[in-house]
Amino acid sequence: MKLKDTMRENISGYIFIAPQIILFLVFLVYPIFEGIRLSLFKINYQSETFIGLANYGKLFEDPIFVKSIINTLIFVVFIVALTVLFAMFVASAIFDKNAKYVSIIRGAYYIPVMVSMVVMSMIWSFLLNPSNGLIPFLARKMEMSVNFLGDTHWVLPVIIFVTFATNVGQAIILYIASMIGVPKELFEAAEVDGASRIKVIFKIILPMVKPTTIYIIIMNIIAVLKIFVVIQLLTGGGPNNASTTMMYYLYNNAFKYNQLGIASAVGVIMFIITLLLSVPQLRAMLKKD
Amino acid sequence: MFKNNKMKREKYDVIANIIVIFFAICSLFPLYWLVTSSFKNSVDVVKMPPDWFPQTFTLSNYVDVFNNQPAFKWAFNSITVALVATIALLIVSSMAAYAFSKLQFKGKNIIFIIFISSLMIPKEVMIVPLFRIIQDLGMVNTLSGMIWPNVATAFGVFLLKGFFDTIPDSLREAAKMDGASEFRIFFTIMLPLVKPGLGALFILNFVNVWNDYLWQLVVGQSEDSKTLMVGIATLMQDLNPNFAYKMAGAVVGAIPMLIIFVLFQKYFTRGITIGSDK
Repeated sequence: MKLKDTMRENISGYIFIAPQIILFLVFLVYPIFEGIRLSLFKINYQSETFIGLANYGKLFEDPIFVKSIINTLIFVVFIVALTVLFAMFVASAIFDKNAKYVSIIRGAYYIPVMVSMVVMSMIWSFLLNPSNGLIPFLARKMEMSVNFLGDTHWVLPVIIFVTFATNVGQAIILYIASMIGVPKELFEAAEVDGASRIKVIFKIILPMVKPTTIYIIIMNIIAVLKIFVVIQLLTGGGPNNASTTMMYYLYNNAFKYNQLGIASAVGVIMFIITLLLSVPQLRAMLKKD
Repeated sequence: MFKNNKMKREKYDVIANIIVIFFAICSLFPLYWLVTSSFKNSVDVVKMPPDWFPQTFTLSNYVDVFNNQPAFKWAFNSITVALVATIALLIVSSMAAYAFSKLQFKGKNIIFIIFISSLMIPKEVMIVPLFRIIQDLGMVNTLSGMIWPNVATAFGVFLLKGFFDTIPDSLREAAKMDGASEFRIFFTIMLPLVKPGLGALFILNFVNVWNDYLWQLVVGQSEDSKTLMVGIATLMQDLNPNFAYKMAGAVVGAIPMLIIFVLFQKYFTRGITIGSDK
């Protein structure tokens, strides 16, 4: 009787997870292995020739790919740093104020996230348009003649700023929630000691929200790693490949130049990076269970 | 915190909040510019110095968007893709999350660990093999092709398992004693108890799929299968040089999400914070 029960529960368990696991195998696991396989082949429409690691070799000889790695790295470092620091600053300034105020400020920073990168990229491309955009107009007023998207020195900072401004709302929401959860007793103790607010922020709040900080950093690194929309819609990777990224490079090779082997190799490299980056977060999550 | 001594609100606090408010306004400014530009005529929209407050008001840009472009079709496609993907995800991931949380079966832990390890891997990095699968399944230029890869994510299970874990096992055992089947227990007892989790997952996933631009761009190449995000992005390359027209398209792309945000703000905050609290 007992044995029959365990059997039955085994079977129900498998039935319950089956639909999700099948989708997982077909659309996630299989593509990973297939991607690794494709990256070792030269692919021409119908024919596939095994060429070992030659695609990877070719990639690292291509100055545009190297540029795309450097750019992606620059984006990751600056966008993530800006996002974390600014979100910390905003959240620590408002989290203990009245609920209405918190929700208005939070909403103001979150609406650009909601509205999506596609729409925000369209707005920024209008704002930055050299001939009739608002920002070049204001720059000219201040005696600055800058082509923000057409100048190789300006294009990276501009993309960093636009991406940061569009996405920081998410980190702000996370920090506010986490800071509201810090036990009140800690603040009361600090108050008795007469600690200044800056001191409270650095000595109590920031250490207490460290898990949130790690989470935000990892999620943002992975999000910026696959940065694509803003590149395609604002710069098209230009000028002269100055703003190309790994995801944009992958997309072009796969769907414009029909270099599927090369594109797969880029995908594999990106897959390994994301997997390594997600290890600390996964470890923390599994420990909790 | 310092609620009881409002008297000595610190200088730092005041300055910090002024800065926060200032940037909050800055953060909304592009949207203000978007909306007001979309109501300007083609001359005023590029006038320099600009009209900070629109002097003319015309709806013709919106009329053009809906006349020249199949914007309703795009919106219909976007809503279908986001809705079907999200409902399917709610069903499959709530079942799996329940099993991982409450049922005992062989290999449970190892399957769960492998499955959850995929949580942070964006499907975009495997876009080439994924596209080939869609090709083999004959799903190019179909909404199904945009939907199913989005149901394969581990995010739903990750989010819902936390909710199932808080339900005491005794509830299930009691129902078992009464002779209820596993499916009955799941649908009539367990699912109603995780409603807040389902709500949060619904919103988060709906928005994710709605904004799944790159994948929709790749799968939906025909006019009929374009989604709203892909469609309005093509307006950027449109021969029509009128910026007000492009901005009206962008507004059309933004409105559905803004409505959802206003209606469900509570769920957003809850859903987004779930992954991070330890």
